[in-house]
Amino acid sequence: MSSALTLRHRRRCTAIVAVGLLALLTACGGSGSGGTTGGGSGSSEPIKVGSILDETGPLNIYGKAMSDATKLAISDINAKGGVNGRMLQLVSYDAQSDNAKYTQYATTLAQKDKVAVVMGGITSASREAIRPVLDRTKTLYFYNEQYEGGVCDENTFLTGVVPSQQLAALVPYAMNKYGKKVYVVAADYNYGRISTQWVEKYASENGGSVVTSEFIPLESTDFRSVINNLQAGRPDVVMSLLVGGNHIAFYRQYSSTGLIKTLPLVSATFGLGNEQVVLSPAEDKGIVIATPYIQSLDNPENKRFVALWHKQYGDNYPYITDSAVTAWNGWHLWAAAANAAKSVDRAAVTKALEAGISIDAPSGKVTMDGKSHHVIQNVSIGETNSTQGFTVLDTKADVPPAFEQEVCDLVANPATNKQFTP
Amino acid sequence: MTQRRTRSELGVGALLLILGVALSTAVPDYRAQEWALWVIYGLLALSFTFVWGHAGIFSFGQAAFFGIGGYAYGITGIDLSGRTNETLTALVAAACVAAIVAAALGYFIFYGNVGDVYVAIITLAVTLVLLTVMSSTADPKYHVGAAALGGYNGLVGVPPLMLPGADGPVLLGSNALLAGCVILAVAVAVLLSILRRRPFGRIVAGVRENELRTSLLGYDVRRYKLASFVIGGAVAGLAGGLYAAWGLFINPAVFGLQQAALVAIWVLVGGRDSILGAFVGVAFVQGLSSTLGGSGGSATPIVLGAVLIAVVLVLPRGMVPSATALLRRFLAPPRSSPEPATAAAPDALRPEMPTRANTMAPQSIEAVDLHKTFGGVQALRGASLSLPAQSVHCLIGPNGAGKSTCFNLLAGRYGPTKGRVRMGTTDITRLRPDQRARLGMGIKLQVPSFYATLTAYENVWLAGYVRHRDARAAGERAHAVLAWLGLTARAGEDAGSLSHGEHQWLEIGMVVAGEPVVVLLDEPTAGMGREETLRTVDLIRALAVDATVVVVEHDMEFVRVLDAPVTMFHEGRVFASGSISELRADEQVLDIYLGRTSTADVAG
Amino acid sequence: MHGDQLVNFAASLLTSVALLVVISLGLAVIFGMMGVINLAHGEFLMLGAFFTLSGVRAGLNVWLAMIAAALAVGLVGLAVERLLIQFLYGRLAATMLATWGLSLILVQVVVLAYGPATQGIPTPLGAVRVGRYSLSEYNLVLIGAALLLLAVVFLVFTRTRYGTMARAATQLPDMAGAVGINARRVNMLTFGFGAALAGAGGALLAPVAGVVPSMGQAYVGRAFMTVVVGGPGVLTGTATAAGLLGSVDSLVSNVFSSFLGTASLLLVAIVLLRLLPTGISGRWRRQL
Repeated sequence: MSSALTLRHRRRCTAIVAVGLLALLTACGGSGSGGTTGGGSGSSEPIKVGSILDETGPLNIYGKAMSDATKLAISDINAKGGVNGRMLQLVSYDAQSDNAKYTQYATTLAQKDKVAVVMGGITSASREAIRPVLDRTKTLYFYNEQYEGGVCDENTFLTGVVPSQQLAALVPYAMNKYGKKVYVVAADYNYGRISTQWVEKYASENGGSVVTSEFIPLESTDFRSVINNLQAGRPDVVMSLLVGGNHIAFYRQYSSTGLIKTLPLVSATFGLGNEQVVLSPAEDKGIVIATPYIQSLDNPENKRFVALWHKQYGDNYPYITDSAVTAWNGWHLWAAAANAAKSVDRAAVTKALEAGISIDAPSGKVTMDGKSHHVIQNVSIGETNSTQGFTVLDTKADVPPAFEQEVCDLVANPATNKQFTP
Repeated sequence: MTQRRTRSELGVGALLLILGVALSTAVPDYRAQEWALWVIYGLLALSFTFVWGHAGIFSFGQAAFFGIGGYAYGITGIDLSGRTNETLTALVAAACVAAIVAAALGYFIFYGNVGDVYVAIITLAVTLVLLTVMSSTADPKYHVGAAALGGYNGLVGVPPLMLPGADGPVLLGSNALLAGCVILAVAVAVLLSILRRRPFGRIVAGVRENELRTSLLGYDVRRYKLASFVIGGAVAGLAGGLYAAWGLFINPAVFGLQQAALVAIWVLVGGRDSILGAFVGVAFVQGLSSTLGGSGGSATPIVLGAVLIAVVLVLPRGMVPSATALLRRFLAPPRSSPEPATAAAPDALRPEMPTRANTMAPQSIEAVDLHKTFGGVQALRGASLSLPAQSVHCLIGPNGAGKSTCFNLLAGRYGPTKGRVRMGTTDITRLRPDQRARLGMGIKLQVPSFYATLTAYENVWLAGYVRHRDARAAGERAHAVLAWLGLTARAGEDAGSLSHGEHQWLEIGMVVAGEPVVVLLDEPTAGMGREETLRTVDLIRALAVDATVVVVEHDMEFVRVLDAPVTMFHEGRVFASGSISELRADEQVLDIYLGRTSTADVAG
Repeated sequence: MHGDQLVNFAASLLTSVALLVVISLGLAVIFGMMGVINLAHGEFLMLGAFFTLSGVRAGLNVWLAMIAAALAVGLVGLAVERLLIQFLYGRLAATMLATWGLSLILVQVVVLAYGPATQGIPTPLGAVRVGRYSLSEYNLVLIGAALLLLAVVFLVFTRTRYGTMARAATQLPDMAGAVGINARRVNMLTFGFGAALAGAGGALLAPVAGVVPSMGQAYVGRAFMTVVVGGPGVLTGTATAAGLLGSVDSLVSNVFSSFLGTASLLLVAIVLLRLLPTGISGRWRRQL
């Protein structure tokens, strides 16, 4: 008997807890970050724009700088008078290196904050979490990070450098300087796989070859076997396409064997997470990279940008990364397009972007390629120097996203929505 | 009783369902999107609550099954939804594939008798293997039909939840998805909650509380663990399928250490044994991190970490059980104090033991030339016994003589190095304890062995159910035995709260409830007073009416009163047999017992 | 196989084993002696690496910086035990939840203190050439350090009063109080010792890894695998398991690929646990 009583009682308690919980959740829902609603069409009301990046968690090695760049870009745009005379108001979320949060926050930005544009995502996985949400909610999306290329989606603009651009500059340079036999060490990741194919293509076009390509799981931290293999392979130059915090161990282990002095290393990814700081100046001299942005680029916009950055974040800020500048470029491209369209409406801005708008960016001139939704931009070759930064060796101007232009024409076929692979 | 409970469960379920669905349609869709994720994670947490909280298996594999379910949904959805115009098949596939993988892994683990901590690590290792393998499928050559696995980026283009409709598929929006998730979650919660009260659920609870006892009662522990593991896997797989449908992607991050640990965190925060706790834990942890992520501070992990630590220190049992206890304290009408605990011994003096329902005949038990070596130590070096049916027999001997080893070999707790054991005409040498119990062997160990957190009734019920396989018959049997034990008034209390003496009788009651034909008792009078010892003698005689009783004992006084044939062990061999008076007349026996002569002389 | 290849191969194998030993030993002490599942173990490693980094940047000799870092992490361990773990003994799941929370806090505190970017210290010593191969001398340091740490653990547990008491408390927890062992003190010291060992592991990793706040995650899974496969023998079990798993990983990685190396390490761990359900040292007599 007593057990039945306890049971019934327990059930009542459970029900009370449940109701209390629901009340609590609803209350949370009401009070969440207290944004205004429906501020879409007011005259002098600020324009809400959204950003989602990983400011905490393992991906913050990239996310922190990109988030800083985003804030700086917004304040720069506002300082220049905003967009169509209205100020931008940034609504930003920290996805905490969790992909499900991207889906969640993208929905919130689109449907609760009703922002004009969403920029964000660092890994390709996070981009693929955001994209379907913003496609469905018809909210314009910018992905501002170097990636494996091939995304073709009317609602999405991609301002990062793609392998066909980067490697078109880097591979010929490396082969001319060091020799024809390339050994590729790549992350076992979509970026690594696809980039390796481009290395192979450009190497054979330049009369060279890829001796071996080795793919390393993202969670690997021990590169001893890789280093053994590449010594056995006797290449002229090693191409690193490694990514992520764990893979930084490769550069330490490579330099600890002393190979760095005898076997040249070139990389399309070195520096994105400030890898050059990991090596001492004596160790990392002479690693060659190719990215659109290098902090020491000599152009007026870059001087202004670096000064602004240091004014905002202090002179001790680590070397400004390409990812940070890509984020900056994304915001300025959108602002320029919205100003040209005299509207922040998605269709109007898309039209202005597709018309091939261009801006003067810290990395040089950046032009939107209307058909592919990727950008035509400069790619600079840099070399690590004794101040743990990069010296610019060469700049290849207006490099087109060749592969994307070839496969993707959103002006002719706006319904295309897929990621092409070579 | 069970039916009424089931009905009330269905009632609560229906209430929650209506409430949940009503709420689902009322909230703005970004909120619905967020809550749908919480409900999905809640299902995942629930699978862990069942596997760990109920079945006692600490598995990091739930995240793996979740991910497998997600991939199964994604692949099936991409390949089939174009043809079938719905994705319910894909959802079913998610649960099924996860269940199949769980079955294979569970078979590997539980039929290998892997220890508890090691189960956790094996499941973690499997999860990490999946992470490594799935992350390495970036090469386009890895695809299933049209679905490219996509390596670390994962499957893209996963179709949303689609219902078959008259004219084409009906796509579920955020609110409908939330409603769908709520319906599934409530259905699963109600089913699991009913399952917990079914005989299966009780047995699984028994496995969690005391694996050895459950096996000695006659249940194949491995089977019940495997079944629970598979059910948990299916629920996690279903959640994974919903997750893929929710986010329209699935990637290997679900196999990460982070996700694996998070499942345990949710359940620990919500409350280990509470179904509601699974959902509360998720809502709390995810709600907190979502809110912090929107506030833009860089202190998110610090706040989250501090809150988790606070939960551990302040609410050790988790939020829901703590809240329930608190509510009960404030809201409960003062309960009448339980009637004074009458530590009455059973009326064992009355010969009217509960009547047995089955008609299995008592069996003789025979051991032939048993040897047992532990490491380098020879505990038993060739002992033979032949005990006729329906008799009482005592095994005596000084410590280390081999009598307990012999007992354990008879009970099947380990196999002999050499020799055979027969029950009646059946050779049971290679049978496990649970198989022997099903043949009619009943065992009481020297150390207390019962289910402290189950009620006295459930303890006895579990013992009876193995014989009848009928919940009602087992219930009647349990009530009869409890009445016989004089424990009817305390039937609903946790067995752990009974007195020491009552524990002894409860264990005897469990033996009786199993209607054994062979009974093995290891030092049944340990810790008893003279009065109780005498009652035990009567009880053993009563048992012997329907069974063969073997008693291991070294209380010579007890053996004398029992006045049954005695076999004495010495140095791993049978040293002497006969009646107690014959043995007491034997000088050598007395020498050994009193340590008067050096053993070497005796052996010589 | 050529001579130079063989030497290189052997060095690589031994280093893999040594790495597993240095990252697992602290966990083995805390788990094996106290039964505490410390999910913040990776963060103890990470702290060891960051403290070493700070030491080197402050001008300390790299070896001294490593020792100082290990001691500093030991102090952190003592504080953690006093403030948190001591309230949770006997509650396996609760310690997991609490140490998980702790790991989140430690990572973010380090992010705030050092910034999110990856850092590094130069690898001490140089490289030697063996035929066609260039080998880092630091590999030898790692192998030596692994042996040294094993010796330290052995000596501490067999030759000190604390060690005897700690072993007694592990093997006969009920009796420990009766023979005058102060369990509180022993537990505190064991946790501190384990943390210091983890700190030493992190310090040793600093020159061969990217020093980044999230680095603990990359090692903690392997450390757990090694400790559990090793079984109850803190020293013997960990050493054997590291030897076995490290060799498998290194062999397969060298001959086939890194991916198969990682996968085979995990698969061997799974199969071993199935065959030896209490770990490699589960049936050994000597339990240290």
